[in-house]
Amino acid sequence: MVLSSESLTAEFERCSAALKSYILRITANKQDAEDIVQETWIRAQRSLEQFKADSSVKTWLFAIAQNIARDHLRSLKRWPENVGDICKEAAMGDQEFFREAMTIRQTSPQGAFEIREHIAFCFTCVSRSLPLEQQIALMLKEVYEFSVKEISEIMDSNEAMIKYYLHTGRGKMIEVFDKRCALINKEGVCHQCTELNGIFNPKQNAQEEAVKIQMVRDAAKKDKEHLFDLRMKVMQELDPFTSPAATLQLHHLEFDRKVMEQRPEQELTGS
Amino acid sequence: MNLLFTTLAIMATTASFAQMKATTNKTTFHRETTVVTVIQADEAIIWALLTNAADYPRWNSTVTSIEGQIALGEKIVLKSTLDAKRSFKLKVKEFQPGKKLVWGDGKGQRTYTLANNSDGTVTFSMSERIGGLMFPMYAKYIPSFDENFDTFAADLKKEAELIQSKAN
Repeated sequence: MVLSSESLTAEFERCSAALKSYILRITANKQDAEDIVQETWIRAQRSLEQFKADSSVKTWLFAIAQNIARDHLRSLKRWPENVGDICKEAAMGDQEFFREAMTIRQTSPQGAFEIREHIAFCFTCVSRSLPLEQQIALMLKEVYEFSVKEISEIMDSNEAMIKYYLHTGRGKMIEVFDKRCALINKEGVCHQCTELNGIFNPKQNAQEEAVKIQMVRDAAKKDKEHLFDLRMKVMQELDPFTSPAATLQLHHLEFDRKVMEQRPEQELTGS
Repeated sequence: MNLLFTTLAIMATTASFAQMKATTNKTTFHRETTVVTVIQADEAIIWALLTNAADYPRWNSTVTSIEGQIALGEKIVLKSTLDAKRSFKLKVKEFQPGKKLVWGDGKGQRTYTLANNSDGTVTFSMSERIGGLMFPMYAKYIPSFDENFDTFAADLKKEAELIQSKAN
């Protein structure tokens, strides 16, 4: 089957939002996401004849995008799982961060603070503590709902290895969030989403807002696998570029990225 | 007759998936412990488990930690439940992806092999040969590896088969 330029354009338009949010979530960088999606379009147009109908156009586009992203990410440091603590400390000493955030809060139509959006933002940051292959496979499966076979095509790997990446990546994230996230564990050390709710949305009761989220309501059941699935559902339901809190969360993400890039290499190994 | 044949066939199949107990052969200057088990998983999964150093403590109850990268010529530092106080500084001597992995030091060598079977299973074998001219002097201070090897193989089999069973 020959893929026409028109068909490619139509399919690209259908999946470009998912593609862009996926790249944002693995790179944690808005500019990279925009550049990589653009480059994906250019490369796909140039290599139409290389498209093989044994995979969908969407899978093919994700494969091109993740190749570009992976090459880029290989040269960057991974982040530690306590990235939130590190960036919180940096933010506390940075008046500029809060000034900008408050301006966004007051002026942007996407400046609202939503706990569920912060849950998605938090996962984007913490999942950068996984080995790159695990992070990519996990995101593709759990958030973008590709099958293991499709992920093996996107990542140019075999299905057995994808299963290994998914198993280890998922296990690690469940462990990290169970240890850290106060939304699902009373002993959890991280309360950032509810703390930030108090700063950016002081009239709102954080606890009341939190229990509107299924994951928080089900926390008492203590089924870690189920809670992780619900966390992923929060991710699935949000587009980080168009959600009501997008501008504010992207501002947080950009701040975190800068903090982590400026951090000395030896301090970025605690994953 | 048919029932007897079927029963024997089931017993044979069950036996082929069972793990054999570790065995140790001793000579004056060497000691070699071996364990063999059949695993119902893709060799790529088993290989990934065997070569991902940082992941060992998650699935392998005999390994406390492995620092370094498991790749040809690389040096690793292994801490085992065999002797919690010691760190074993080892070098990866052979690395044939999906087939064979060997690491060791001047006193001993650990060999892992994987062999695909016609029924889709993989035969995993692990052996460790220790010794040398001075071996008789310290042999009695080295604990038996048998139980540790049995646990290692059982942990590997359990984890690989769990990953294999995951939905697509």
